[in-house]
Amino acid sequence: MTEISVRMGELAASADPGTVLVSLGLGSCIGLALVDAGAGVAGLAHIMLPGPGEAAKRPPATFADTGVAALLGRVLELGARRMRLSAVIVGGAQMFGSAVQLQVGARNDEAVRAALGAARLPVAAADTGGATGRTVRVYVDDACVTSRPAGGTETALLGGLAVTA
Amino acid sequence: MRTNYSENELDALRELANIGSGTAATSLSGLLGMPIDVAVPSASALPLADAIDAAGPAEQLVTGVAIALEGDLDGAAIMLFPDEDVRTLCGLLGLEADSEMAASALGEVVNILGASYLGALGSLTGLQFELGPPNTVYDMLGAILGSILAVGAGSGDVALMLDSALIIEGQSCSLSFLLIPTADGVDGLLAQLGLG
Repeated sequence: MTEISVRMGELAASADPGTVLVSLGLGSCIGLALVDAGAGVAGLAHIMLPGPGEAAKRPPATFADTGVAALLGRVLELGARRMRLSAVIVGGAQMFGSAVQLQVGARNDEAVRAALGAARLPVAAADTGGATGRTVRVYVDDACVTSRPAGGTETALLGGLAVTA
Repeated sequence: MRTNYSENELDALRELANIGSGTAATSLSGLLGMPIDVAVPSASALPLADAIDAAGPAEQLVTGVAIALEGDLDGAAIMLFPDEDVRTLCGLLGLEADSEMAASALGEVVNILGASYLGALGSLTGLQFELGPPNTVYDMLGAILGSILAVGAGSGDVALMLDSALIIEGQSCSLSFLLIPTADGVDGLLAQLGLG
């Protein structure tokens, strides 16, 4: 298994069954996975902010709207079929209780769901909100998406649990 | 939008951090009753993802205490404590590391260090800003720092981090005080130093 780390503002997609896409330690950020189990294609974007991102000269995965569009483009390029895609979202926590100016998790969650809705991509599973950081893993092989909260265990949100960590 | 800073600018910011951390070290020394050494601070402008990698492993569980800054200097100050540093600090303060007292004491330590560091910065630059209350969380390093960087660096892809190490003598414990101004916050600091 090769792990590809998808860091803040980055995205990656793969059709190689030996690949695991991972975003470690998501706080207010969102890990958005798009998976086509039939084609064996999956992608992961590490979205930081709600957007809009169109006018900003920044990597597309920085924002919810441009991130959804860019990730969709990448998985389609690799042979995914739009009608078969499942979207999974993880993250969007409110890490700091009372410091309003440091909060963006809930807005990220809303913006990613809105962008998915606009692209007619159904949300198959989600593990968002709360006050805990999470790690998301996408196993291309089994079309499996997992979430692991800080100090907790890895559980499958989509597909079977590929690896018991 | 700024994507980088010159060596001159980074030197000036490093000097600011040096003065801030010197003042913070005096406070910490008073608090613990022990001598504190200050290493030369680092000022680095890094892409956001690299900034997290520079701070440590993204999944490592740490206690993070963040203070939001608002006013002429926007941004956040944050200290990240690995478990062993929490134990050392609590030991020096005479507290059980797992107690609720410990979390609140750590928040207070950061509050005191932040007030002295940022107070020195304020009087030096004439910038007016307010410090929010300390917010203490125990979570993955990447989740804590990433959430601050996402908001703080809203207008740029580069995070400017001023990192000061406060070394507690004889304890092999080095506390890192991170000041992360927003892009506008950095410009404000530089302008006050005649480099804007």
